[in-house]
Amino acid sequence: MVGALPLMDAAFESRGGTHRSSVWRLLAATPPLAFLGVFFVWPVFAILLRGLRPNGVWNLAAFGDVFSDPSMRRVLWFTLWESIASTVLCVIVALPAAAMFARLRFRGKRLLWSALLVPFVLPTVVVAVSMLGVIGGGGLAGVNLNGTVWAILIAHVFFNYAVVVRTVGATWSTIDPRLEESARILGAAPWRVFADITWPLIRSSVAAAASIVFLFSFTSFGIVLILGGLSHRTLEVEIYDQTAKFLHLDIAAVLAIVQLVVVVVILMWFGRSQRRRSVLLEQRSASETERSAETPLQRWLIRSNILFMAVLFGIPLGLLVVRSFSTPNGWGFGFYQALADTRGGSTSFVPPIDAVGNSLLFALMATVVALALGFCAAWAIVGDGSDVSDSRFSRWTDTALMIPLGTSAVTVGFGFLIVFDEPPLNLRSSLWLIPIAHAIVALPFVVRLLVPGLRSIDPRLREAASMLGASPRRVWWTIDVPIVGRALAAAAGFAFAISLGEFGATAFLARPDRPTMPIAIYRALGRPGDYNFGQAMAMSTILMVLTIVVITVIDRFRPAGVSEF
Amino acid sequence: MKRLCVVALAFAVLAGACGSSGSSTKSDAKVGPVLVNDALPHFDTPVTLRVLTHDSFAVTQSVLDEFEAATNIRVELMPSGDAVAMTNAAILTAGNPVADLIFGFDENLLGSVLENNLLQEYTPQRLSTVDPSYVLDSSGMATPIDHGDVCVNFDRVAFTKSATQIPTTFDGLIESSMMKKFVVEDPSTSTPGLAFMLATIAKLGGGDDTSANAKWLSYWKQLKGNGVSVVDSWETAYYGSFSGGSGKGDRPLVVSYASSPPAEVHDISLAVESSPTGIITDTCYRQTEFAGILRGAANPRAAAAFLEFMLGGSFQADVPGQMYVYPVVTGTPLPDTFAKYTPAVSNPLSLPFADVAANRDRWIAQWSALFR
Repeated sequence: MVGALPLMDAAFESRGGTHRSSVWRLLAATPPLAFLGVFFVWPVFAILLRGLRPNGVWNLAAFGDVFSDPSMRRVLWFTLWESIASTVLCVIVALPAAAMFARLRFRGKRLLWSALLVPFVLPTVVVAVSMLGVIGGGGLAGVNLNGTVWAILIAHVFFNYAVVVRTVGATWSTIDPRLEESARILGAAPWRVFADITWPLIRSSVAAAASIVFLFSFTSFGIVLILGGLSHRTLEVEIYDQTAKFLHLDIAAVLAIVQLVVVVVILMWFGRSQRRRSVLLEQRSASETERSAETPLQRWLIRSNILFMAVLFGIPLGLLVVRSFSTPNGWGFGFYQALADTRGGSTSFVPPIDAVGNSLLFALMATVVALALGFCAAWAIVGDGSDVSDSRFSRWTDTALMIPLGTSAVTVGFGFLIVFDEPPLNLRSSLWLIPIAHAIVALPFVVRLLVPGLRSIDPRLREAASMLGASPRRVWWTIDVPIVGRALAAAAGFAFAISLGEFGATAFLARPDRPTMPIAIYRALGRPGDYNFGQAMAMSTILMVLTIVVITVIDRFRPAGVSEF
Repeated sequence: MKRLCVVALAFAVLAGACGSSGSSTKSDAKVGPVLVNDALPHFDTPVTLRVLTHDSFAVTQSVLDEFEAATNIRVELMPSGDAVAMTNAAILTAGNPVADLIFGFDENLLGSVLENNLLQEYTPQRLSTVDPSYVLDSSGMATPIDHGDVCVNFDRVAFTKSATQIPTTFDGLIESSMMKKFVVEDPSTSTPGLAFMLATIAKLGGGDDTSANAKWLSYWKQLKGNGVSVVDSWETAYYGSFSGGSGKGDRPLVVSYASSPPAEVHDISLAVESSPTGIITDTCYRQTEFAGILRGAANPRAAAAFLEFMLGGSFQADVPGQMYVYPVVTGTPLPDTFAKYTPAVSNPLSLPFADVAANRDRWIAQWSALFR
């Protein structure tokens, strides 16, 4: 809750006369900010303080140690450039796919749209071992990229592709294609149409997606450790080592502060390029905006995108699935049967149905929390859409919600341990912390998907409704909800997927044993032997299928009045 | 809208209120003997015992059930990351612990466990049955429970196919015929990786040499020249890079455990000479895992009972099959696959734990300077 006062000032001064609306916005912003304050700011602040002020005396010597250490400067520099490179690369390769999903009709579109989220939920180590089977020594590709920065970049694109495609695709599909079509009829070349018409309209959602990709790449941990070899270290890896390995909390605190500063600076920069659209457009439903592929260019767009996805996702994930059926006794369901076999009834054995159940339960809770809080936050950020969308209040709220994505999981996890140790908040070993931690990560996705949708609502619609006597709640329910329905579904999908796959802060919590699917996968993979490896692959395959099913269901769920994607 | 937000706020508060606030009175009084005629004590009122473990902890459910039935103690296992992260999390909460008992720190962590005053004293009555070579802590805080040996594993199939001699010593690993055939774990991120680095120090010496020319470092220079691959974790090394058994990579030598080869055998009738993988016994480094009662534990007597149980016959016989480690109580029978497919490691390498505690960070720094 740092900076609460300036936020209020900004809100009031920018609203000028209509300050009833300011009060509403503050009210709406309170739950998400309070949530963040208790479950993020407080624990992080406490662990930083433990490092810099042990035994009640300030000890800032670590700042000197860190800044005078050339290897730390190298780490920071590498972290910065690999995350910028990953972001640029990811946006470049994902934009054509966003265009395809937004504009073209093709077979298997819905399935593919849901399947995009699969990489997002798979545990890093599983994907990495599969990738090593392709780009590692003796891999299918015949070229060994293991330990190079290319392996890191490819893996970052692999994990973050869906962020750009689904975020930008959802916005793009609501733009009336007749705008572009008229430009083309008037003789504009395709690139001109894109640069002059489409880009200005999708720019803010590209910035929203890119900033998330940046944060994920900036805090990349598992990928860098497994695929990056010894010479590549990110700030996140360094913070993990200093905290969980060496318990050098002072150095970890300095590094965490450096991380925080960089993240805030970058987010502010992104925030500037994310101002609201210059024109308000009537949103179109996806079925109105998609066309069947007629021109050679359109057909080429589909073919090249599908080919790209087949190579990037199809090969490593296919290898994973193939391995789950390749038992020592030939092809078959042996590993899947082994999943259900208690094999001596070990306490480490996770009945697959329990793992699925636990995963779904936590994901449902996390999604509900993230959607509720995210809607409040998005609504507060957008306000009534009249003139204040770029006010300081909006920018700060948005940035504040994004910061957890750019913060080390171990900082938060160890922070939980030391602040939630007394009643009434003796939560450190509570199962509640799991969905709460997931919701913190999911929140920015929800906000970023909802804000562009809410911003595009013509305020005159709301004004008209109010004038006709509708209560604010009624206005919200009849105007806002249907219009942002698609964004809401996309947000729910992301929140659910994040929770299904999350293995960050919660991994550092001592928790009563209630294993989720990623935990079951890690457990199997931590032991030698064909059956342990095979079960990890089988459980990963189940997780992939489950993700596709759940996301398809969520994608199909629409509030009344919004047609199908 | 407002209502939705209020509901959300209420939810957050509720989440706080629902948190387990049931930590009861804490006692640091010394725990007396709990066994009566070598039998586990029975608690009149049900007790919940929280056991902090690393993620690899496992015990056969029926073995645990017997303990619970005999003692009226309900055991809540709390897996919390790898052994290092678990131990450091416990140090961070020393005196106000999340659990009663901690299991799974090894001798490389023993120094910091004792230094941070994490445990309270309890000398199990059954400690007398333990092979004394595992009892490293004379202060009676840390009880040895199991041991494993970190050894170089080889892919028998690959060596047979290429008709190359399988190396049997450290020197064998730097022969030119082993070029690009060996994968190890980073000692700064991986427990077996650390053990193997310590093995080279124990074997080759130079541990007190702070220069870049320490004997053990010269060996690593030769390994590096011979194309050794260093990866972050056991999972990546064994499944991603190793070619033997269930490994999916292309290198026939890997740092793993003495207990890994039995896990690669599906049929006990298989001849030892044709089992997929084996170990190089000369490279083995001893790793002992300890347990102890956390200072400030809510139920120290229940924790003491669990310690006795862990040294009892049924738990000790259970550890090889469940955790791929060996019992510390002398005379405990091993499963058939262990007896058959992995040679007994009679003289594993080791270093005094106080030396490791004092020098580990420097050794890792020296090693890192060579490899980063």
